[in-house]
Amino acid sequence: MSQQNLADKVGVTRQTIFAIEKNKYSPSLEVAFKISNEFKVPLEEIFIYD
Amino acid sequence: MDFSYKEKNLIASLGITLLVFGWYFYQVFSNQMLTLEHEFTFNDILRPIILIVVLEIIIQSFLAGKNKNKEDERDALIESASYKNGYWVLSIGVWFLLIQLLYIGSGGWYDILKNASPSFISHLLLLFFVLAEVTNFITQLYYHRKGV
Repeated sequence: MSQQNLADKVGVTRQTIFAIEKNKYSPSLEVAFKISNEFKVPLEEIFIYD
Repeated sequence: MDFSYKEKNLIASLGITLLVFGWYFYQVFSNQMLTLEHEFTFNDILRPIILIVVLEIIIQSFLAGKNKNKEDERDALIESASYKNGYWVLSIGVWFLLIQLLYIGSGGWYDILKNASPSFISHLLLLFFVLAEVTNFITQLYYHRKGV
């Protein structure tokens, strides 16, 4: 799935998806849950708190 | 370089502000028009503001038509973080003017504006407003690139 596809499905910009990937932005819970729903995996498999 | 809608928006706003107010302040300060003899009217200050509003409407409507997912939560966070920096610049400027106005005519070394006309002081205040806005735009662009 491309960044743009994921961004469109989650309702954010492609730049926000890029920033999340690069660890430059921590998304809100809503966006985090939407991303995990898109990939159909639990939240903690995508996001790690450190 | 790939820019988001918000970044294009900011670059346009920054460019317009620098061009219009750069030209305006150059005219005002370089020609030494701010003497007591020269009367500045409210229309003189209103002209660049109207020009900025018109240019912003044209450019924003052009940019808005080409972009989907225009703004999101990250843009809102960056905007609120950047407003703080603009606020600091404006606060410093206003406090500087406030202190100068309190000591105007006292003749001390700190009395920088002793020969300043009311027009000069009001333009200085306008300059601090514009600097605060420019700081806000630049900080937003920085946060968009480097993260917030």
